[in-house]
Parts: sequence; structure tokens; C-alpha cells
Amino acid sequence: MPILSLANIGLTIQGHHILNGVSFDVEEGEVVGLIGPNGSGKTTLFNVLSGFLKPTEGSVTFREDDITHLIPSKRAQLGVGRVFQHFGIFREMTLEDNVRVALEAMPKELRNDMGTMEETVRATLEMATLLSHAKQKAGSLSGGQMRLLEIARTLKSGKELFLLDEPTAGVSPKMTHQVADIIGALKKEKKTVLIIEHDLPFIAQICDRVVVLDVGQVVLSGKPDEVKKSKELQEVYFGADPTT
Amino acid sequence: MDFLLHIIIMACLTLFPLLGYNIVFGKGKILHFGQEAQSLMAVYTLWVLVVQFQQPFLLALLASLLTTTMLSLLLAQLSFRLEPDGFGVMSIALHLAVLSIILNWQSVTRGALGIPRIPRGILPSSLERYALVVVLGAIAWYFFLRRLERSSFGRNLVALSEHEWHAESLGISRKKVHTIAFLLAGTGSMISAILFPPYIFLLSPLDYNFQHMIFFVMCAVAGGPGSLRGVTLAIFLIIFLREGLRFMGLPADILGPVQIMSFGLILFVAVCVRRDTLFPKQRTV
Repeated sequence: MPILSLANIGLTIQGHHILNGVSFDVEEGEVVGLIGPNGSGKTTLFNVLSGFLKPTEGSVTFREDDITHLIPSKRAQLGVGRVFQHFGIFREMTLEDNVRVALEAMPKELRNDMGTMEETVRATLEMATLLSHAKQKAGSLSGGQMRLLEIARTLKSGKELFLLDEPTAGVSPKMTHQVADIIGALKKEKKTVLIIEHDLPFIAQICDRVVVLDVGQVVLSGKPDEVKKSKELQEVYFGADPTT
Repeated sequence: MDFLLHIIIMACLTLFPLLGYNIVFGKGKILHFGQEAQSLMAVYTLWVLVVQFQQPFLLALLASLLTTTMLSLLLAQLSFRLEPDGFGVMSIALHLAVLSIILNWQSVTRGALGIPRIPRGILPSSLERYALVVVLGAIAWYFFLRRLERSSFGRNLVALSEHEWHAESLGISRKKVHTIAFLLAGTGSMISAILFPPYIFLLSPLDYNFQHMIFFVMCAVAGGPGSLRGVTLAIFLIIFLREGLRFMGLPADILGPVQIMSFGLILFVAVCVRRDTLFPKQRTV
């Protein structure tokens, strides 16, 4: 049974079809890459999955529950975590409080299992290699550090499905490795990851499967190596197969 | 000495609704300009029932609590349904509507004349003791809010004010947190409704007009939106200035405009100084 199921998702805004009949499943523990050119609807699809946009048609099922009409905070409490393209951390808060605010928002049952708040905050900051900055305001961090903090925070807050929107954007090559390591750790813990990324080698390295989106439609889906070699991907990204 | 006590009492009485307002406007960064509507609802329900209809104080207090809570919930609901600027305008409209009803429902409220002979009841009659009660109440309110600010509620409110989507994606319920914020603002108005009219023995609608709302905004902005300590300090300084102007020997017809002009100047400078931190920077998702 898939953990996430998208059935015929359509979204029309002011007469423009942003998403058109998007359907695919994601199995538990799978890491799926969502790729496509700019404006293909990837982030919009994430906004639909997180509940910030309501689809005009179709349904979203998470762990067999229809969550199409649930508000974002309810989805998060069910276990849908999101890492934003433009750093979803709170810059005016300290790193500690950034983690604490996420842990406090967890459902009570999960919070009871996690140990003391202080221990978990510490463990999260250690995971992001930011423990020495605990009392600093998050706005003083570099882009890569913000990204690590955000991913570690989402991971520790008991989420089951991770929606990562370009986690390596604005991140140094060294930090990109750290991000890949954290996603690897998620995979080992059988967490499910849906990741938007433009870095195709990165996608090929970490994903089990790739879904290609273009003008709001799924045009291709398969294993990273197959997708990489396909003519459709070349057409989507470059307008035509460069070998012809 | 009496003048100093008077300033302390006035500052503390202002502190109740203003620190409550600071939770919504300063900490939550919600464009709310209807705090005086909450105050009007609280104070008129309470004292109209006690003075005009001779109802027992506790019953009137309960009714006042009920109407203020209902208005706070209405404001919270409106803030969820409207865009921030739309809500700002709507909250002003709501304040003016409540004020207009009070001014025109003369058989009950006595209109612009207000309600005189507000009894002090169990509150002390001497200035010193009144000051003591008010100061102790203000200290308790300050520390209660400080505790809330450092709790998960405070963190959630700040997270929502920084970026609503980011906060909601963590599981923070905007409706729950903002409803609590509006209820706290209403509580501040309630406490002031109990203590302020008995102090001056009069309930006047002029003490709750839009100019007073501007005064609240000015104190919140000048003190640093969301800062309990800063706003408290601003309240004391600005009230000292306001009350102090009365002793400068200015003719009565000049005093009012001078007060308004000096408040305008303070607000202008405060907004200029704090323009970067007044409202959250818009960030894309």
C-alpha cells in the first residue's frame, strides 16, 4: 500500500491550468525525485501536498486517509514534513527555539516517546552540526547551515513523509554532501522522501525513482538511470534531444 | 506626590489593554486596530449593568466577560478570513461601529455624556492604596504575559508572525494561536474596564475613541513591537509626557492639539527608526 497517493490532481488558477491530472504513488521508505524545468509545477504540487493550495480536482491520500481538504497544520501533525526552497527557519529566533517550536508542535503521543525536550533539541542541533551555535539567532547562519538545521528539525519532529524543495539550492558542495548524508539517514530509517531538485547527478545518487513534470503533467517516471537516458527528459530540459 | 501617583496609576491602567494589544499587534504582527472596540464592549457592558440597571457587580462582570470574549472571537475570525490590510480596515470599522452605537443609544449609555458616579466598590478610596492595587495588578499582568511569551504559545506566535506557511508546515495551528492572542487582548481590556472608570468615577466614551487607538499603536511602535519591557517603558514615558503637558500652562484650546502633534511626532520618529523591524519581511516559498 503506498504511503502517498496522488490521484488526478488538477489546479486551475484564474483560468490557467497549473497542474493537470497529476497521478503517482510513493511507497513507504522510497526516495522519489521530482524534476522538471522551471514553471513545470513542482513547487505548486508541493504546496498542494502540504495543504497550502487546494486542488480544483483530484485527491491526495496519505496512509489511506484522504487529506485533500485538511489544513496544513493537521497534515503536519499526521506526519507530512516540508523543507522549503527559501529556508523555512525563523530567523529572529535562536537555533534552540527553532528546534523547540517544531518539537512542541508534534502530536502529544509522539512527544511522549521522544525523551526530554532539552535532550532532543541538543540531539537535533548535533545532527545539524550546529550545537555550538545553539543560542545564536538563526538569521546569522549561512545558507547551508540553515538548510541543515531545517532538515534536521523536520527529521526529529516525527515526520513520516518529507517534502524537500531543492535542498541543495544555495548550498556549498561540502554542505551538499552533508544534505545527502542526512537524506541517506532518512532512507535507512525507512522514511519516505519526495524531493525536488535540479541537480541530476545528486538525484541519481540518492533517489530510487524519478518523476518528471512538465507544464503541470507527469511526462515520465522510472529509475534514475532510465530517466537520465530518455529522450523525453532531454526534450523537457533542452527543448530537443541534443544528439539529433 | 499626588501627581506622580496619578501618572503611575494612569500608566498602569493603560498597561493592561496595551500589553494585551502588544501580543496581537507587536508579537503576532497582526494589523489589529480594534483594541478599543474590545475595551468599549468590556467597560460599557460592565458599568451600564451596574450603574444604569443596578445589577450585582459579579453578574455584570460575567456579562462583560461574555461580550468581550464574543467580540474577541469575532475579531479573530475576521483576521482569518481577511487579508492583513483588509482586516486592519475592518477592525477600525468595528471600533467605530461600536463607538457609534454607544454614542447613539442614549437611553442606555447616556451617549457622549458618559456614565457618572462609577462606584469604587471594594477598591480603595485613597490615592495611595489605589495606586498600590493598580501597581500590583500591573506587575502580575506583566509577569503573566512574560511567562506566556516564553512558553510554546509565545514561540508559536513569533513563528507565525515570521512566516505563516513555515509555521503551519510544522503543525502550528494559526487559528488556535491567534484566537488565544485576541482573547488575551480582550482580557487586558477587561481588567482595565474594572479598574479605570472607578478611578475617575466616570465612564466617558471619549476615553475610547480612535485617538486612543492611535496612542496604543504609538506606544507599541515606540517601545518596539512585541517587546514587553520596551512597550512598558514607552507607556510610562509617553504618559508622563501627556500628563506633564497639562502643567505647562498652555491654554485649554491649545493643549489638545499640542498633545496630538507631539504624539504624531513620536509615532513618525518611531516608525522611521523601526521601519525594518515593524513588520516581517515578505519571503517567498
